[in-house]
Amino acid sequence: MICSIGDNILSPLGFTSAENWNAVCSGHSALKRYSDHFDLPEPFCASLLDWEKVEEKFAQLPNNHLENYTRLEKISILSAADAFQKAGINPAAEDVLFVLSTTKGNVELLQDLHDYEPSRPYLWRSAQLISRYFGNANEPIVVSNACISGCAALHLVKPLLQKHGFRYVAVIGADVLSKFIISGFQSFKALSPDFCRPFDADRTGLNLGEAAATIIFTEMAETKRNTIGIVASALCNDANHISAPSRTAEGLLKTLRSVMAAEKNLSASDIAFVNAHGTATRYNDDMESVALDRMGWNKLTVNSLKGYFGHTLGAAGVLETVISSHELLNGQILPTIGTQNPGTAAEIHVALQPEKTDKPLFVKMISGFGGSNAAVLFTKFLAV
Amino acid sequence: MDQLIEELKKEIIEVLNLEDKKPEDIDENAPLFGGETGLDSIDALELIVMMEKNYGIKLQNAAEGKEIFKSVRTMAEYIKEHRTK
Amino acid sequence: MKNLKILSYSRITDDFVSLNGDLILRRSASDEPNNVARHWLSEIYSKIGMEYPKFFKMDLLCKAGTMAAELVMRSLNMVNDEVKENWAVLCFNAAGSLDDDRTYQQTIQTKENFFPSPAVFVYTLANIVSGEIAIRHHLRGESSCFVLEDFSAPVISRAFEDALDTADFGLGGWIEFDKGHCDVLICAVGTGNQAELTDFSAENLNSIYQKKY
Repeated sequence: MICSIGDNILSPLGFTSAENWNAVCSGHSALKRYSDHFDLPEPFCASLLDWEKVEEKFAQLPNNHLENYTRLEKISILSAADAFQKAGINPAAEDVLFVLSTTKGNVELLQDLHDYEPSRPYLWRSAQLISRYFGNANEPIVVSNACISGCAALHLVKPLLQKHGFRYVAVIGADVLSKFIISGFQSFKALSPDFCRPFDADRTGLNLGEAAATIIFTEMAETKRNTIGIVASALCNDANHISAPSRTAEGLLKTLRSVMAAEKNLSASDIAFVNAHGTATRYNDDMESVALDRMGWNKLTVNSLKGYFGHTLGAAGVLETVISSHELLNGQILPTIGTQNPGTAAEIHVALQPEKTDKPLFVKMISGFGGSNAAVLFTKFLAV
Repeated sequence: MDQLIEELKKEIIEVLNLEDKKPEDIDENAPLFGGETGLDSIDALELIVMMEKNYGIKLQNAAEGKEIFKSVRTMAEYIKEHRTK
Repeated sequence: MKNLKILSYSRITDDFVSLNGDLILRRSASDEPNNVARHWLSEIYSKIGMEYPKFFKMDLLCKAGTMAAELVMRSLNMVNDEVKENWAVLCFNAAGSLDDDRTYQQTIQTKENFFPSPAVFVYTLANIVSGEIAIRHHLRGESSCFVLEDFSAPVISRAFEDALDTADFGLGGWIEFDKGHCDVLICAVGTGNQAELTDFSAENLNSIYQKKY
């Protein structure tokens, strides 16, 4: 089984997975209203990190002056350091590979490069500095696949472990927000002026969020503590439009069919819940509902975590997998906060209250610009 | 009015990169979207920016664009009434 | 493991366009040095006789990638309306979408002239080029985009081999556009029996990339 042996979430709700899990169980949201922030003329709602706290934590790390690290690099390093510690493995070992999932990396440096070298906005450069911080000499992989980046990175884990000789793969998802990203989403009229309401009939758009999240994977026959394993993953393109999702949910549907066909005897009745992308844009949520409907999954419990963390871009697929794994292992499905009155193109069952489950599987699904869609099927992997 | 229509045609070609089109190819009474010109949702958003930049008109709600961008003529009529520059 | 072949490949660089190892276009030295890339890509578009109105909307990275893919698919007689469910699209480069990112930054750089452009912003994602190629050729398999420091035939071939464990065909390769310079190698990869086809390997990919015209 390819399973997680250590994870971390660094978000405004906490610096470890446990802190984040406790916060979301208490119904806390990191979303806040901002005006006159990032020098932007229009106000917005987002989940932004407290950078003083980040600096404080980063100052406690050893070797933190190897480089003048950027915001993105700092949260990635902090997140990975905690995950490696939990996993109890040496990140510098030659059988460890780093995979970084980010959509925009250090793009804020285009406004002002400060003292950084001209190569610093390049995503490969950040990935190099992050893996080198840990003394890892392997060339890291950078996946930049818009909103699905995190799940696209998870999709690489199986071949890397099974075919390419790596014993451990550390998937780090991270993005920070800036004038660049917020103004772009505003120009797309995709941001809600208020807190987002995923799958709500009256949803008005998404909120963005800053976070880093890490999962370390390895392959093993048995485990000493309860964790999650990857059963299957799939990516599919809609080949329809670069920014609008397919109305018939073609690509997402295909990824769901693909993961359910990956092994014999996989049954929807074993799925505890589907953690959707649920951005709270009209088109995304409708499209996801259509995919679930076409799968015949109208009665399955679906939730979205955007009301807690916002849409954390390159971190989303990883962060939401970590929270979902806690949900699965604790048998406790989180409600979709922000949503009162679900209403989507197809009728689905959106969790509005906490639900209990003892089923063994969950599906993480996600879609994004470029017509990309991903689904990953996870299972409980219990201690013997 | 006719002058504004001609001006708009040129601006639309420029901001939407319709390099294969000339102003005379655009019929000011024909639907801008879903018709011959083949414009999409991103083009509509770009026209909203153009209205703000060139005519000082701020649309808060993208849905308002639907009526305004019916044709070059409806666009010109809206601009004539609401322009601040 | 499948016996993978390079079914067709094309190159677009600052100086030439080639298809399956044959030079098909060379840039004339008289081009204005300031705007070489934009002019050159438009020239290629008209010289190869492509008809695709969406081309004009694209950023330069997508223009270069889409044209190189067009040449490859054309040489395979695959430019048609048929949906291709089992084709994967994989793109690799060093700059991601930084060329378009810089253009977008210009639309927001100052408070006085702050008009963020949605049509520019949509291309500020490295994977949009894989989306454009998928849309043009109706490719509905997996699509992904990876960022590396330099062209690396071993990394690219490893990713293609992994994707082709499930997909039947792969289209893509190195699609770089940065600071006015383009460097594109696109290939179509799949199983084939024809003896004249080149084996898909890191070594062969590298020699295709290095060949000068």
